[in-house]
Amino acid sequence: MRKIGKAFYTVGFVLVFVLLGSPFSWAQSNVSVEASLSQTTIYTGERVSLSIEISGNFNNVSRPELPQFENFRLLSDNPSTSRSYSYVNGQSTVSYTYSYYLIAQKKGEYQLPPVSVSIDGETYATDSIPVNVIDQDDSATSGDSSGQPDIFLKLEVSDKKPVTGQQVITDVILYFRDGLEVNSYQPVPGWKAEGFWKEELENTGRPRAESTVLNGIRYRKARLLQFSLFPTKSGELEISPYKIVVAVRSARSGNDPFSSFFSGFGSNQREVELSSDPITVDVQPLSPTDDATYIGAVGNFDISRSISTNNALVGESIEIKTRVRGSGNIPLISKPNYDLPEGLEIYEPQENTRLNRRNSTISGSKSFTDVIIARSPGNYTIPAKTVSYFNPSRAQHITTTLEPLTFSIDENPEAIAASGNSGEIPVSPITGLASWIVISPNPADLLEIWWFWPGLIIPLLIVGFAYWRKSYAEKMQTDTAFARSVKASDKAQQRLKKAIEISEQGDIKQAYNLLQKAITGFISDRLNMPEAGLSNQDYIEALKEQDIEENLVKNVRMLLEKCATISYAPNTTHAYLKSHVGLAESTLEKLQKVL
Amino acid sequence: MPTNRIPKIFLFLFLFGGLASLSFAQQNAQALFDDANEMLQEGNYQQALSLYQKLEGQNTVSGALFINMGISYQHIDSLGIAKYYFLKASQFEETEQQAQKALEFVESRFSRQSAVLPKLPWDIATDWLQEHIGAKNILLIGIITLNVGVLIFIAHWFVQAYPNVLRIAGLSLIGAALLIIASSFYTQYISERYSKAVMVTEKVSVLEEPTEEASIVSRAYEGYTFTVDHRQSKSEQEWAYVRMSNGLYGWIPNSEILIL
Repeated sequence: MRKIGKAFYTVGFVLVFVLLGSPFSWAQSNVSVEASLSQTTIYTGERVSLSIEISGNFNNVSRPELPQFENFRLLSDNPSTSRSYSYVNGQSTVSYTYSYYLIAQKKGEYQLPPVSVSIDGETYATDSIPVNVIDQDDSATSGDSSGQPDIFLKLEVSDKKPVTGQQVITDVILYFRDGLEVNSYQPVPGWKAEGFWKEELENTGRPRAESTVLNGIRYRKARLLQFSLFPTKSGELEISPYKIVVAVRSARSGNDPFSSFFSGFGSNQREVELSSDPITVDVQPLSPTDDATYIGAVGNFDISRSISTNNALVGESIEIKTRVRGSGNIPLISKPNYDLPEGLEIYEPQENTRLNRRNSTISGSKSFTDVIIARSPGNYTIPAKTVSYFNPSRAQHITTTLEPLTFSIDENPEAIAASGNSGEIPVSPITGLASWIVISPNPADLLEIWWFWPGLIIPLLIVGFAYWRKSYAEKMQTDTAFARSVKASDKAQQRLKKAIEISEQGDIKQAYNLLQKAITGFISDRLNMPEAGLSNQDYIEALKEQDIEENLVKNVRMLLEKCATISYAPNTTHAYLKSHVGLAESTLEKLQKVL
Repeated sequence: MPTNRIPKIFLFLFLFGGLASLSFAQQNAQALFDDANEMLQEGNYQQALSLYQKLEGQNTVSGALFINMGISYQHIDSLGIAKYYFLKASQFEETEQQAQKALEFVESRFSRQSAVLPKLPWDIATDWLQEHIGAKNILLIGIITLNVGVLIFIAHWFVQAYPNVLRIAGLSLIGAALLIIASSFYTQYISERYSKAVMVTEKVSVLEEPTEEASIVSRAYEGYTFTVDHRQSKSEQEWAYVRMSNGLYGWIPNSEILIL
């Protein structure tokens, strides 16, 4: 049996590769080598299966070369093998799976080392696999298995402190204990994630259950659904509970790690509605940036700009396409604003968004198409534009400069023919000398013009002064007492001057007579007394009534007496008179101040 | 003697320096204008316009500059902006006639013509004063008249001949001067509060409120003229409160119009 089987295997192998593999041997081989563990969290002493799956288009493959496993014991060097063949769209694929069993010997977190395989003379290596080995005794004492539910739903987010607009991958994970089998599930509609823009991601395969240990209890977990959530504002946002209805039944044996997640229907089947706990996400605001360049994109993007043609005719449309490609909040990206030159008709821009919901992320592209039409011939340049987006993985704004676009527009012969009859503007350009004026950007306020206030105030002052002069002149003409009082001093001065002149001519008596008239005239003019018929005593009395200082009155009396008695003084000289005139001048000056 | 010369030298340098710099600015403007005119004659309207705009940005302007800018914009089919510059050119005595001709031509090219309400006589008078004399000159005339009136009135106090004639003449002149001064302030107020504006984009809605969602008063098309009320528009940075030429009022985005 063994020989026959071996011969049959060899013949079959050769036939398959001769018939199917050889005609396509020129095709580029697409080989993948993957290692997986049946469980990544296991107890000490527990057996775990290591599978190495080799698939692709190849001819010769060697048995995997196992490395030295520390803290694990290999049960047997001879693996159990399985193989399969497929032929899809004219391409054949062979798949080999080698399975080994390992026993965990010591608790701890380890990396299972890569396994290498030689395929068609080339060596391939698997990735290392993280394994967590826990002590069964420790977990039994620390875990409170009595409070743990048999089945529950949980939301798991990729980042609990994202920034506004960042893509947060949210997994809806079902945990269920060994012994339970989930037949089907149905999401309860109406799940809302307020404060987020959400997109459901596509799961290409059926959910796969993995083994895990929670609080000392072995669970199997399966990701049922996956969403991309994009926070639209900063602050603490709550992702509301997600609900599903699952059909479960108790299985007789749950130890087989490779049993199907969706088992067949059984007699113990029942439907259970499960709800996850809400999750609070602390959304951080974006770091400040130049609003003019930021286009609202958060993620990892490639931004480019292109023009449909560099040469067109007047009236022909030109498209400027701006494309943003990458992963992130693609639908929320806004169009950069360009400074378009004058003379262009600009039409409503078109937007086109393509989203790819596979590979556990939202990726794709968004394009903006500006349609412009030039109205006149010439060379046009759309200047360079700087745009920026936020990259959460680098935690910084990334700035990209879009190169300037130039295009030339030629006259459209058809348009010229059509507009030939419309006529030219009846004005020619002025190409000679022009008379220039410099205009002030801010016209002055009328109240701030320098001549405004003087122009108003000066006439008012002139009116005031003129009115005063007019009133004075009128009073001088109509009020005799006022006129005498005003003129008294001048009159007295003239008389005193005359007295000196006469004295110089030798007529001393007449000079004293004038001196007396000067004094009495001054007093009578200032006090509005009769000009004649009064004695010296009357003047003295009048002065006393005015409460004049006694010394002044005494001087006046002395001078008047001197004038009256001078006829009896034969030796009076000119110098003597001059001294009296001087005294009279000073006395009258003082009197003028008090009368 | 040397000390007496120093102030004179400073005065000379000040006057000479000021006049020289003004003259240099005008020469520079003329040179730039000549370059732009060459571009215009070669049919390179975009480059000609960028040079003309440079001049305009320097606040050195002339009627010829605005005529040529209007012609350039007419060639690139921006008729609204062309009308705006022809209206500016019409404010200059030397280019008024050409600007009017060009305006007639541009008006005939607009796809839509609007009904225009005739202006009130008082508005016509105010516009005339604003355009032909200016508030500052009116004020100067008022101040001079006031001073002359005051002097004549004072004269009747001191001059014996025809005192009544002088008094009445003086008071009349003072009264007239106060009216002229008041009208200068009114003209200034009107010119600061209201401006003419031209619609330079193809089509826009005139709205009842300064928001995109407000109900529509009317549609406006390229070349329509409006009277912008700056006092009403002060509260809204991106909107202007306008009176259309048919007497309707409404709000329009500032980006759609050019204010003269």
